[in-house]
Amino acid sequence: MPYSIAIIEDDPAIGANYADALKAHGYAVELHADRKSAMAALQARLPDLVLLDIGLAGEPDAGFEICRKLRSQSATLPIIFLTARDNEFDMVSGLRLGADDYVTKTVSLPHLLARIAALFRRAELGSAAASGEDVLARGALLMDLKRFAVTWNDKPVDLTLTEFWLVHALARFPGHVKNREQLMTEAHIVVDDSTITSHIKRMRRKFVAIDAGFDRIDTVYGMGYRWKADT
Amino acid sequence: MHKLPRIGLRGRLVLVALILLIIPWAGYSYIKATEQLLREQQERQLMAAARAVAAALHDRPRLATLREESPDGEAARAEVRALVTGIARAGLRIWMIDNRLQLIAVAGDISDGAQVSSDDATFGIVERTVRAALRPLLARWLDAPDLPAEEFIPNDVVFGGREVERALDGAPSIKRRPGPGGSAPIVTATHPVWVGETVVGATVVEESTAAAVSFRDRAIERLIAVTLIAFGAAALVLLVFASRISIRLRRLRDEAERAIDSRGHVRALVTGGDARDEIGDLSRSFSLALTRLADYNAYLEDLARRLAHELRTPIAVVRSSLDNLRMKKLPEDATVYVDRAEGGLQRLDTVLTRMAEASRLEQAVRTGERERYDATAVVAGCVAGYATAYPATRFDLKLPRHPVMINGAPDLFAQMLDKLVANAVDFAADGSAVEIRLEMRGTTAVLSVSNRGARLPENLRLFESMQSARGTPTQGTIQGHDIHLGLGLYIVRLIAEFHRGRARAENLADGSGVRFSVEIPTLVVD
Repeated sequence: MPYSIAIIEDDPAIGANYADALKAHGYAVELHADRKSAMAALQARLPDLVLLDIGLAGEPDAGFEICRKLRSQSATLPIIFLTARDNEFDMVSGLRLGADDYVTKTVSLPHLLARIAALFRRAELGSAAASGEDVLARGALLMDLKRFAVTWNDKPVDLTLTEFWLVHALARFPGHVKNREQLMTEAHIVVDDSTITSHIKRMRRKFVAIDAGFDRIDTVYGMGYRWKADT
Repeated sequence: MHKLPRIGLRGRLVLVALILLIIPWAGYSYIKATEQLLREQQERQLMAAARAVAAALHDRPRLATLREESPDGEAARAEVRALVTGIARAGLRIWMIDNRLQLIAVAGDISDGAQVSSDDATFGIVERTVRAALRPLLARWLDAPDLPAEEFIPNDVVFGGREVERALDGAPSIKRRPGPGGSAPIVTATHPVWVGETVVGATVVEESTAAAVSFRDRAIERLIAVTLIAFGAAALVLLVFASRISIRLRRLRDEAERAIDSRGHVRALVTGGDARDEIGDLSRSFSLALTRLADYNAYLEDLARRLAHELRTPIAVVRSSLDNLRMKKLPEDATVYVDRAEGGLQRLDTVLTRMAEASRLEQAVRTGERERYDATAVVAGCVAGYATAYPATRFDLKLPRHPVMINGAPDLFAQMLDKLVANAVDFAADGSAVEIRLEMRGTTAVLSVSNRGARLPENLRLFESMQSARGTPTQGTIQGHDIHLGLGLYIVRLIAEFHRGRARAENLADGSGVRFSVEIPTLVVD
């Protein structure tokens, strides 16, 4: 049975385009244009993934509310915010409410499909054990590339998909400086490079929350970031 | 600016107070009229006295023998003397002369005239001062001799003036002459003495006008004192009133000048905000205008961000449509157009991103967290990166040997340097080096980026949003490097201000290029 994806988007053209693309890739798609119909349908049956716009017809923050309700219904349902807003406040709000990723509407369809596929993979393999090949180990860091799960000192780090890709891009070659453009390419980020800074800051905070002495993500001013190699 | 000297509100009001000078003029006219009245009264009295004396002597048979050197003549003279002495009093002198101008009798002394005490001053010190100052002036001004000098007659000499001759001809007359030694004028009344049909002599009654003159002088002094006091009091009140208005207006002006700062931020006015007069109205309407201006500014500041936001949705429509199109089987020649459409879309997206960048940065600056960091390390790291970012440009870096600790955000500092360097590289003359310096001036760290090339344009507010010295970006490329919205230096200013510093742009001293510098206060090392 194909995965079902709910698109909650008030712009009919964008909604239809995304629906077509997702259908073409074998997903079952249902499209909702406003909060009421979306909530009614979602409460009846949860899809496997939700693509959520923040501002819906007449309700600028409807997406946040839907996200909160969905998260209370299911802790594991993958949610991607898809919005025209790209300010940090909205991004932080969305991620705090438990969204798995946050992309701006100008994201290209292949990038969006990659994210959706990755999230499904993570959900699929959530309980399976990691096999040797798909694991990246850098000292205390352990990255499961199949399940998109990260542990630091054996404690899970709750990273979003974007953050996971950023950590992966950095940790793959410890000591190498990655500039913002490289990071954006590897993490499939299409927004402007200043959001990299806030992503990095948030990632650091998540690691520091587990280990107060965490200092592996290093800023090289004017050049980019690097993962500090073990000393 | 003004050719005419500026007259302030206060000066004008004091000028208006000059209208009070009408008081002394009116007073002076009144005093003059009163003096005239007094003088006429005195003259009438004198004439009456002269007539009385003459009447007393009329038709006395003995008078015919006045001039005779006989016991009769002697008796007549004694009789006249007794009569005259009886009538004369202090200040009133009476002469009796016969028709050959021989002095028969004289009695009284005009110098004994009523002396007026000059010490009672109703208006105290002011009046006394005025008196001391005006006495010589008044004497010269009011007592100018109005008679020819030859009629000035000493006391003890029998005179033969026209008046006496007229009296001896039978006509009474009255005359004023200056007093001896410049004292008050003397009024003289002359009356013939008849015996039958012949004039046997004349009586001359003289009195000093000292009392009237003294009265007049005192009145004028008092008038001037009153005027001065009134003028002073009025001027003082007006001055206080005008000062209050003037101070309020000046405060309003200063506030209005400061209300819009160089960045176009608008502050509300407080002066006279609740005053219920015209100044309050003015302040309120200023405030209203400024509030509207502030709203408009806020609207403009927000416009770029909102525009970027509003355009994202249609761009998403186009992009997702193109992506879907690509997934279809397209004829070979159709993909070219899809590619072009995507190129254009990318450019549009870059423009939007840049437009939103400044407002996103404003947000970051508002909520930005501060930390202590070494600016030297940041600059060194950044410049190492520029070598790869701008392979065609040489960078000439000078750093201090010691760390430069500042309080702020290293990311933003790096972003600021990025913008300065990008700007310098764009404007640098071919083959010239871009000079980057970090140095200490006292407790201030100065980061400067200079390049050889064109001088700064005049009158361009470089550090404002949407200001650019570049031409219209018609030649923009897909990479977006050549798309300029004039936000770079605006971002520099925002970040400099976030670091409690300021950004400056100037031409190099030798005119060969420009230097942009940012001054940031350093942390005082404990």
